[in-house]
Amino acid sequence: MDAMIQLIHVSKWYDRRPALSDVMLEIEKGEFVLLMGPSGSGKSTILRMLIGEEQPDEGQLFVQGKNVTKLKRSEIPYLRRKVGSVFQDFRLLPKKSVFDNVALPLIVQGVSEKDIRRKVTEALRAVGVEHKRDQSPSSLSTGEQQRACIARAIVNGPVVLLADEPTGNLDPELTGEIIELFKLINARGTTVVVATHNHHVMHQVNCRVISLMQGVVLPERAMPERVGV
Amino acid sequence: MRRLFYLVREAWANMRTNRMTTIVAILTTAFTLTCVGIFLLIYVNLQHAAGWLQEDVKIMVYLEDRLSRDGRLQLELMLKSDRMVGSVLYISKEQALTEFRTQFPADSHLLEGLGENPLPASFVVTLAQSFRSPEAIKEWVEQVQTMGGVAKVDYNQQWISLLAELIGYIELAALGVGILLSAAAVTIIGNTIRLALFARREEIEILRSIGATGTFIRVPYFLEGAALGACGSALSLGILKVGFELFRQQVQFISRFSEMEGLISFFPLSACLALVLAGTALGFTGSVVSLLRVGEGRV
Repeated sequence: MDAMIQLIHVSKWYDRRPALSDVMLEIEKGEFVLLMGPSGSGKSTILRMLIGEEQPDEGQLFVQGKNVTKLKRSEIPYLRRKVGSVFQDFRLLPKKSVFDNVALPLIVQGVSEKDIRRKVTEALRAVGVEHKRDQSPSSLSTGEQQRACIARAIVNGPVVLLADEPTGNLDPELTGEIIELFKLINARGTTVVVATHNHHVMHQVNCRVISLMQGVVLPERAMPERVGV
Repeated sequence: MRRLFYLVREAWANMRTNRMTTIVAILTTAFTLTCVGIFLLIYVNLQHAAGWLQEDVKIMVYLEDRLSRDGRLQLELMLKSDRMVGSVLYISKEQALTEFRTQFPADSHLLEGLGENPLPASFVVTLAQSFRSPEAIKEWVEQVQTMGGVAKVDYNQQWISLLAELIGYIELAALGVGILLSAAAVTIIGNTIRLALFARREEIEILRSIGATGTFIRVPYFLEGAALGACGSALSLGILKVGFELFRQQVQFISRFSEMEGLISFFPLSACLALVLAGTALGFTGSVVSLLRVGEGRV
């Protein structure tokens, strides 16, 4: 299998405190991976590095064969267009409708009006909030807001979907629904990496789990079956 | 198309969201540009007046009383044959006296007691179009002054020189004030853009995370800066026009200056457009400076 994400001897320090220590990691194309660990273990640091928001102090990162550490500043937006991001706090623009929020990545890329309408409708349908397209995010429930955020992340067909604590603000029932959504997205061929400290998530998905503790990758748990829908 | 529409809409949304700062920025920009405009208006009108005076320059060649009729005719012929001379008009002593009495009826009694007409005969000379530069006039006057039968040569060059000097000073003042106030306008607009950036920092973060380029993020702010500059300069032109019309009305009321009314004029349309463009450029510069200062220029 092809490696979609590779971290080679990656280290990062914040004020001389190690956030990541010599991390070696490889995630295959089409894999569903859980990055587990308590707060401060380095999960979010890895995700931020994968979209070029931060640079490692040592080591190299590759996304779809491209060395992220060697990218010019002007090339980073193009990397982010291939990597969808889902956040714990949703990060939806409050003054725009759900449709406009989801359309944003396509507008940024200069996609035609017709394609925007088609792709946004498809994405909203896939996450189950098509009926809320004209409403403002503040009128949506937290679960719906997270669905809208996921729709925005997948609307331009990214090769990787990164989710940083996507269920942090959701109750167990909604957590289950969101994880099911990630499974569906993964089933369509997108590599999904979910960073979470919530152990319930681990029980809801049968996938590879990478555990982090104080910036160090722990030996992987044996969960050989890949998610398949 | 949607991208362009989005960028314009974002710029408009920025201005509407920060309505108060937008209004303050437009008003202060308009005020500073009005100050620059006043200097420009004075400068343009003085230039116009100087040009008019230069066009209207008349040289008075006063003749000696003892000059015979033949001598006068010979001198007139010489002047008319000079390629630098456009026209020559002879004014006899009697004509000069009549003209004096017409122009200064209250003072005509002053000449009564003198018995003999003290006013000299003269030629009123207008130089040809291509010889009306201050240097050419001076050279010609010096040459004529040495001719036999000529008592004195007089012309209004002193006024022209004085006006030229005044225009020079106003030009310098306009330049100095222009640079200072333009810098002020750039700073004001720059700060408005910084406030807009601060208010929308979360939105900028989101745009970055979904792959927006630095240019895409910056364009609405560039548009906002340019729009603020354009609105400010258009408003300043409005203020200047109102002020100019009020001044013209005052000039009309004061009969001594009523002739001046035809001499003063507002900026032509091309200059108005140039001023609005200059305001737009200042606003654009303000947003560029602001975006570079907060680091957005290197997104």
